[in-house]
Amino acid sequence: MRRTSRRDFLRGIGGAALALPWLESVATPVKSAQVAKRMAHFYVPIGVVRRGFFPGEADHVIPKGNLGNVRKSLGKQNPNYSVTKLDRLTPTMQPLEAFKDQINLITGMDRTFQQGTDVHAQCASCYLSSAPAYTIKGTAWPLDRTLDHLVADVVGEKTPFPTLEFSCNSHQDNKESIYFDNISWYGTGHVAPSLRDPRKMYHRLFSTREIEKYRDVTDLVLEDARSLKRDLGYEDGQKFSEYFDSIRAIETQMDRLEKMKGELAKITFDEPPEAYLPRGEYIRLMGDLMLVALQTGLTNVTTFMVGPERWDTPYKFEGLFDTPKSHHQMSHNQTKMIDDLLKVDRFHMEQYVYLLEKMAAMKEADGSSLLDNTLFTYGSGLGDGSTHQYNDLPIIVAGGGASTASGQHINMPEGTPLANLWLTQARMMGSDMKRFADSTAEIGALKG
Amino acid sequence: MSKIARSMVMVRPGIASLFLFAVSGGLHAAPDADILGVFQSNCIECHGKGDKVKGKVNLLEIHSLDQLKKNPDLLGKIVEAIDFEEMPPEDEPQLASEARKGLLSGLETLLDESLAESKVYPQAPIRRMTRFQYDNAVTDLFDLHCTVFTLPERMMRNHRDYFKPETGKMAEVVTVGNRPLGKSQMIEPRLAGVTAYPQDLRAEHGYDNQGDHLSLSPLLMEAFLKLGQSIVQSPDFNQGRVGLWKSFFAPPHENEDLSKVVPERLEHLLKKAFRRPIEASQLKRYSNYVLGQLERGTDFTSAMKAVSAAIISSPKFLYLYDGVSGEKTMNRVDGYDLASRLSFFLWGSLPDDELLELAAAGTLLNDDVLDAQIYRMLKDRKVKRFCDSFPSQWLQLERIISSVPDPKKFPRFYFSQYRNSMHMLMEPLLLFETVLIENMSITQFLDSNFTYRSGHLEQAYGALGAPGEKKKGEVGALTFHRVPVEDRRNGGIITNAAVMTMTSGPERTQPITRGAWLAGVIFNNPPEPPPANVPSLGEKPKEGEEHLTLRERLSMHRERSDCRGCHEQIDPLGFALENYNAVGNWREKYENGREVDMQGTLFRKHDFQNVTDFKDAILEEKDRFSRGLAGHLLSFSLGRELGVADAVILDEIADTTAKDGYRFKSLIREVVKSEPFLTKTNPKKIAGP
Repeated sequence: MRRTSRRDFLRGIGGAALALPWLESVATPVKSAQVAKRMAHFYVPIGVVRRGFFPGEADHVIPKGNLGNVRKSLGKQNPNYSVTKLDRLTPTMQPLEAFKDQINLITGMDRTFQQGTDVHAQCASCYLSSAPAYTIKGTAWPLDRTLDHLVADVVGEKTPFPTLEFSCNSHQDNKESIYFDNISWYGTGHVAPSLRDPRKMYHRLFSTREIEKYRDVTDLVLEDARSLKRDLGYEDGQKFSEYFDSIRAIETQMDRLEKMKGELAKITFDEPPEAYLPRGEYIRLMGDLMLVALQTGLTNVTTFMVGPERWDTPYKFEGLFDTPKSHHQMSHNQTKMIDDLLKVDRFHMEQYVYLLEKMAAMKEADGSSLLDNTLFTYGSGLGDGSTHQYNDLPIIVAGGGASTASGQHINMPEGTPLANLWLTQARMMGSDMKRFADSTAEIGALKG
Repeated sequence: MSKIARSMVMVRPGIASLFLFAVSGGLHAAPDADILGVFQSNCIECHGKGDKVKGKVNLLEIHSLDQLKKNPDLLGKIVEAIDFEEMPPEDEPQLASEARKGLLSGLETLLDESLAESKVYPQAPIRRMTRFQYDNAVTDLFDLHCTVFTLPERMMRNHRDYFKPETGKMAEVVTVGNRPLGKSQMIEPRLAGVTAYPQDLRAEHGYDNQGDHLSLSPLLMEAFLKLGQSIVQSPDFNQGRVGLWKSFFAPPHENEDLSKVVPERLEHLLKKAFRRPIEASQLKRYSNYVLGQLERGTDFTSAMKAVSAAIISSPKFLYLYDGVSGEKTMNRVDGYDLASRLSFFLWGSLPDDELLELAAAGTLLNDDVLDAQIYRMLKDRKVKRFCDSFPSQWLQLERIISSVPDPKKFPRFYFSQYRNSMHMLMEPLLLFETVLIENMSITQFLDSNFTYRSGHLEQAYGALGAPGEKKKGEVGALTFHRVPVEDRRNGGIITNAAVMTMTSGPERTQPITRGAWLAGVIFNNPPEPPPANVPSLGEKPKEGEEHLTLRERLSMHRERSDCRGCHEQIDPLGFALENYNAVGNWREKYENGREVDMQGTLFRKHDFQNVTDFKDAILEEKDRFSRGLAGHLLSFSLGRELGVADAVILDEIADTTAKDGYRFKSLIREVVKSEPFLTKTNPKKIAGP
């Protein structure tokens, strides 16, 4: 079998469909008729330039400086519900042209900001939980078990990893807290840590042999855990259940990886290099790892942060700018840097499209594509990086095949909680939940 | 942990965001007990009336002192706002000095009464070790002669063994390396093939060891299991590097009875790893594991390595926790709780045999024994771990890693592909170690009569550096000399080049950032983050503003009146340092030729005309500093944010420290011997309704 070099699939970003020899080698993993449903979230930090992204806002005023407390759109949006054919794409959405009939642009989604924590930290960490403000006691965060884990409770039953968390945060300094770098949480204060290092992720996915060594160790330490629990106070005992949960998760993971051994051996994914990668290559490599995990059934649910929130330290966007730039600082200087910021928005969109292209080309056992079986959502926790608004968020839902209506621009009525979309997705994924966080209803227009 | 304690974990120590505007209409003299009267006349306009509830403080809802007494959190907030003279804001009618004093003492009495009725200290939750603690604990457990993995958060590398706390004296010449910024400083003796798990991020406005942030995930658990394996399998895990080799890993003599040797060896290791007495059943379980392996033909050393990997994956090793307590609040910690609290505070690691023996004997809590142990621990080389974790986080020194002054404007900041910050970072850390080792007054942090400088750093300081030919350009091991400070513009932790650089932007100083740093670090009273609805001032002046000073530009820029409350507190602190430019060099004039205007008033009490005055003013307020530092230490030592009950204790700690000549070790001793450090509230059943 020919080994695939990284260059083979990094080539041609943003271009036409790629030749993907390594995919064919894993294209026949499941013989059963049932192909799994998957869900993936592509998170864009610090909002987008509204003029570039939203239809009808091209002439809206450019926010001046940092308008943190404005927290609403400067221009007017259509407050009424409407569903129209997705026709002409805005400049930032341009790269999606080939996928126009496989996506939905959803506008008018809102969240509630709970006073007491940083806007950037909350917009990321609570993006997939959207708990009603002040309902989670004993914490400043409106943060509950996030959508990905609730969905994994339903569709992660058979995969080695119920969920996988990716972050393209290449910062070396320890500037911000976990709230800026994680959108996935097992529960309040209990982070599902994202991996930023492609090598670490690679080893997590493919180093099955090492794991065997742990088996007899876990028996030994679990007994310690039981005796320790007897010596703990009530609150500590509650928190300590994380240890049992973790051990159990690892044991299940080992069992399932063991069963997949034969399939996994067929994959020829080169070990990621230790060397520094330009930003685009780094993001796409993380994306490739995500796709191979989804395709092979290592997991059915993933979250992917294309960058961390805030984190002022500049880094390089090779190919876009000559010097390192801080996305966050640019977002506060739109009057001066709007063109650069639009480039960043477009760059992130191109990475999303790269993943769409690959998913569309990945064939499943029943002849459909990975994209057909995946709800793949692009979104940001802020509607704009200057106003720091939690309303009118940029959201694109791609994929889902025949069970999903697409090719639409759905504008939700003013004040529609983002949780309505999450509820809709959870139910499309097979959950029977009646309500998610502060949701009020499902988004019917999304269902095919 | 009670519900109250949980809610108090969230209380921030800083209250600077309170905006207690007074109504217009002249001064009010407040009689001692007329607290509600003052609220009515001076505060409710902004704190309750007409939907205005600034800082989420609604005083219109307070109808009686009894009601106020039931809310110690609110009381604590108000006391701080009055005490720091934050309220009423400067441009609102003020309370007369006597009235302020009366109000303050009335409120403090009320707070004391309130706490006497329902005092409870927050309890830090059970938490896994940070990777820094894990590294130290594994090193100590196996008595490794090298580190487990190299960590950039351990910023200052100790070359040529300069660190000798047992002598009570810091060397005149020290050789150090800067791990995150220096050349090859991450290459050091360690266990090959062992990779660290990701760095623990800091809590919001806190330390990286805060309990509510340290949780476990399957990902991390897997990392711990792998780590356990990779440590004992490392080629460096051998006779030469493992102090415990002979007594634990080496095969016993042929005629020794393995069923006796194995449990004997295990008992000692387990006790140390788990920091508590070992149950017979537990010892049997671990012994059987080893004996089972031996029966299956595994060689002795491999079997002992395997069980070691299991031991360091056990939750009893990985987790920090206090044992369950009685139902009432504030139970005294037991000896084992205390041994671990002490060792993780001062050594970032496991208690040693002596601490565990005293815990077993039940004497560690005795006053004189505890005193002796504190001083013993502070003289042990392991106190380097405290110096490797507390000061850099307290001073927020990691910020300098990402400081990149504009190379065009500050070309001398860069040298052979490195930055001067590599040398700068060492200065405050060396000062910290010296004040600790030599048990000096903590006022040295504010205004020291000595400092440590490298030749390169002297040059980087420009006019503030010693003149003369200096060796320049070290990038690996850096040589620092102890030098007396004669010019008081030098010395201390506030005005050193590291802090001045990291609180500046690439092109200019940021007085507000500096002020906020000073308020948070020195007085432990950090302002809330800015409301973010005011655009930050551009790096370069706008057209038509080139002739203004920074202060003039900022005041034009600040239009909203409700920003003033906070900025009155932090601006004078930041502007006071305007003579230090964005890389910590001295200047009298801005680039546009205008004189630097740095004068101001500290806490509305102490006027200053130059930076020496300013240092004097802060020295006048040294008790506030001492209290602030005590708060930082207490929060660090207990792994949690402080609540209102802790705030009262800080006053006591500061008082006693003052009587002891502000000596640093006395301050640490008082923190350890304070009620929150020696008590726990950790009942089995939660007090239900």
